[in-house]
Amino acid sequence: MDAFSSPRPSSSGGPSNEEMMDQVRTQLAHAYAEEFFATVRDKCFAKCITKPGSSLSGSEASCVSRCVDRYIEATGVVSRAVLNASPR
Amino acid sequence: MDTSGLGGGAPSFELQQFLEQEKQKAMVNELVAKLTDSCWEKCMGTPGSKLSSGETACFSNCAQRFLETSQLILQKFERMQQG
Repeated sequence: MDAFSSPRPSSSGGPSNEEMMDQVRTQLAHAYAEEFFATVRDKCFAKCITKPGSSLSGSEASCVSRCVDRYIEATGVVSRAVLNASPR
Repeated sequence: MDTSGLGGGAPSFELQQFLEQEKQKAMVNELVAKLTDSCWEKCMGTPGSKLSSGETACFSNCAQRFLETSQLILQKFERMQQG
């Protein structure tokens, strides 16, 4: 968070609003991606690896792959339901 | 509000507005993530090549009913405070 912790009071006024906004957007997207990854990993591990063996089997791997796709799809369905439900 | 020459002082109006919008978006994202998480437990069978129509309907109903339940409980609490 360099733009916040070390503002440069230069003649140009330090980082522009555009730069700060870009940085905020990037950091939010990063945080969101990390959290999403952790959730999907936990859900699909629980769903697909029910009895951990000595290695991931082919069917476990393909279950994980489908599971990730379905989780993304489900997020879209929920997102639409939430947006439709809250016009207020 | 004078922001000139303030090293890291009050952010400009434009920036404040932007942050407020991002906050709103983050709250919606968080709600969607939370709902997907808990509805997944109720609705999801074995992951197939796409969501079945039953699963899709379940996710949609689950999300809407959650919001409705939230409203219901909120109203109950309000009544309890008044009573």
